[in-house]
Amino acid sequence: MAMRHLITGQGNCAPDGASSSNPLGNFANALLGQSSKAQSIKELPGAAVNVPSTSELGTADPLSTIPGSENEFKQHQLPFARGADFIRGSPAEDWIQSFRPPGLPEFAGPEAHFKEFDQIYNNTGATFGPALDGPPQRVLSGVLHSFLESGRAGVPFQPVPVPALGLSESDKQCIRDRSCIMARHILADQPEEYIQAQVNTLLHSLDIDSDYRMKGPLHGPFPEMEEYWNQSQSAMRSAPMHNAADKWITEFGQQNNNPENWALSFEQQYGPNGWASEFEQHQSQMAMMGGTNMANLAAMEQSRMLAQTLASNNDPKFQNSKFFQFVSKMSRGELIIEDNEVKQGSASQSSGWADEFQTQYSANANSWADQFVHEEISQGADKWASEFSSEHNQGGLNENWIDEFSKLHVGDEWAEEFGGGAFGESSADPWVDEFQNQLSASKQNSGASRGVYVFSDMNPYVGHPNPMQEGQELFHKGLLSEAVLALEAEVLKNPDNAEGWRLLGITHAENDDDQQAIAAMMRAQEANPTNLEVLLALGVSHTNELEQGEALRYLHRWLQNHPKYGGIAPPQTADTLYGPDVIRLFNEAAQMSPEDADVHIVLGVLYNLSREYDKAIASFKTALQLKPKDYSLWNKLGATQANSIQSADAILAYQQALDLKPNYVRAWANMGISYANQGLYEDSIRYYVRAVSMNPKADNAWQYLRISLSNASRADMIAACDSRNLDVLQKEFPL
Amino acid sequence: MDGSSLKSAQLLEQMRLHMATDAGKKLSKKVGLIYQLNIAPKKLGVDEEIFVVDLKKGEVTKGPYEGKPDATFSFTDADFLSIATGKMNPQIAFIRGAIKIKGSISAAQKFTPDIFPKPSKL
Repeated sequence: MAMRHLITGQGNCAPDGASSSNPLGNFANALLGQSSKAQSIKELPGAAVNVPSTSELGTADPLSTIPGSENEFKQHQLPFARGADFIRGSPAEDWIQSFRPPGLPEFAGPEAHFKEFDQIYNNTGATFGPALDGPPQRVLSGVLHSFLESGRAGVPFQPVPVPALGLSESDKQCIRDRSCIMARHILADQPEEYIQAQVNTLLHSLDIDSDYRMKGPLHGPFPEMEEYWNQSQSAMRSAPMHNAADKWITEFGQQNNNPENWALSFEQQYGPNGWASEFEQHQSQMAMMGGTNMANLAAMEQSRMLAQTLASNNDPKFQNSKFFQFVSKMSRGELIIEDNEVKQGSASQSSGWADEFQTQYSANANSWADQFVHEEISQGADKWASEFSSEHNQGGLNENWIDEFSKLHVGDEWAEEFGGGAFGESSADPWVDEFQNQLSASKQNSGASRGVYVFSDMNPYVGHPNPMQEGQELFHKGLLSEAVLALEAEVLKNPDNAEGWRLLGITHAENDDDQQAIAAMMRAQEANPTNLEVLLALGVSHTNELEQGEALRYLHRWLQNHPKYGGIAPPQTADTLYGPDVIRLFNEAAQMSPEDADVHIVLGVLYNLSREYDKAIASFKTALQLKPKDYSLWNKLGATQANSIQSADAILAYQQALDLKPNYVRAWANMGISYANQGLYEDSIRYYVRAVSMNPKADNAWQYLRISLSNASRADMIAACDSRNLDVLQKEFPL
Repeated sequence: MDGSSLKSAQLLEQMRLHMATDAGKKLSKKVGLIYQLNIAPKKLGVDEEIFVVDLKKGEVTKGPYEGKPDATFSFTDADFLSIATGKMNPQIAFIRGAIKIKGSISAAQKFTPDIFPKPSKL
């Protein structure tokens, strides 16, 4: 995710991928919410006993939206008046009841709300136009048009007298909802009061009570709504209205040298309530666009990525900033956004502010915004920016986040790199999907640093009287993962047992884990530096890990330490060996004793290193004539054929290996690779599943399985792959 | 690919051979983009070796692309291998700063582990 996307809200920044509000704005809003919350607490000293509960606060808010309340601006310059009402102890319930429009039931909840909405919607056709067909609607359309005109002109809407329309309760609600949403879109650049005044005047002229229901949280996916939203969005973009996000980014670019200026000019441009209205607008969009769960997950992923990005900044001030901590909390799921509220996640935290924020902030986004605005105004000359920074100072931080943010060094580079294009719509899915997987993978990678053997956590063979013998038996039975445990117990008991380490290394190699194989073999080599099998195994494993230099060194040492050919190998002088020289020496050895299969095997490995696959295949085939029962040799032949794109031949060779050793995990995994490289992903999946079911620690096979699943359009099984759920996978992909 | 001591060179050699197979041809038909890979042995941007994976013509060559590739990636040898074998997600690598990308992002997004053949193990 580029910084630019982060700012403009493109790409996968927005929780549901369709909202154009910028995520930084959201975070800032969340932070402002914090300040607003703190403020309101300050404003009600000693009033704790009489403070109404959350829901009461929320539903009480229609006070600010009663019809014809254009003058509410003035009223709210006396913020204490309202608070005083509460404090005086007038029963809040009654107070609310008096504002509930007659004939309307108690808030029936969003579901019921939407049933009605849908009903109207479906009855009147798919677009807004046909809805105005009937006689009363024709009258209405005049009113609505003049409403729109006034909105564009930016003048207060003059109510047009209309005859009694006899609108039903649900029609009214429809108009109320629509005009409210419309107004937000059309008047997005206007202050919240203005929008509300416009809507209220309209509703009032139509004899519709403005009530809290019009801004109630919207739930659930409603395709029509989304369609409508998308249409209005594109209309908005083409209209000559200023695009808030674009301006924002431009301004940020111009002014980010002086954060104080930035804050001030932002405020000048949008007014202190600009944030609030933008926030509210975004909130209603969010609520409209999808289920909360989706929004939550997306938000979490989004913030996680953001946290990642931010974490890569080394500035300690930034690392300690509240902004960063907030994002981190979001990303860890300690804070979640639900129904437009910031809540603490299941990973509960003792820090109270999120709780308080939630309490303060009722289900109605509007109330929050209103309240925020009121408090803003009540502060008189105090600007939000200074408030905000003082808030931070109280929190023990000398820098406000704007300062911190402007010191980030990422901006230019990222923007430049992303200059070439924009993320496609589909981008969000794989990013999000694979993120979790990625995290766990990287954790494991860092855990097993190179060359250090990683022992299993739980080992039932520790304390076994003879784990070495047990390990050998298990190995010969083909129970490789069990053999690993027994042999680990052996080398824990006798760390100098070269044979124990060697067999452990061999077992890991057959179990398709070269990293562990190398680590074990290095211990074996420490204990016995001249063991030829160990040297060959190290050469092979390093070849598999594409580590040419190491592989060459061990294979050269094999020759040096060989009782028969040691004479032809000159002592190693240079630091780096030259591949062709080593190959020449081995060819000499092969001429000395053409019946020695091992020399041909080493030659085959060397030709793999030099990518002379035809010669490698020839060498392995020669060796196989001498050692036809060597399953690992069949696998080597197969792997070489596979790497030189003779996948069909490779599969035959692997089959030979598996006939000799049915539990040979490496051959099963290689089978899968050969099918996958031929584009036969469905087939490859079955072999990978077989490999991982025999060795659940075979990370390579798991990774390849995942790639094959996505290529075979089996995204439905990727979750099972990520959670390494063998039962599900084995059932789905039997071999 | 000859004369390169990079691990990636081995994989790219396999890729070169792979392009001649049916699966490889299908791949270039599907992707149809040209990638330039700047691969550094250890440190990003230092002593880079340049390869071109041309999924238009179905070729893998050493040396910079003559013209404008659809996307150019810079990464280290180890990171490229991790990406090509599915150990590391390219997007995550990008976020971590392990990859630098120039060119079209939509082209860059098609640079996924599944375009590379997987090395088999001896």
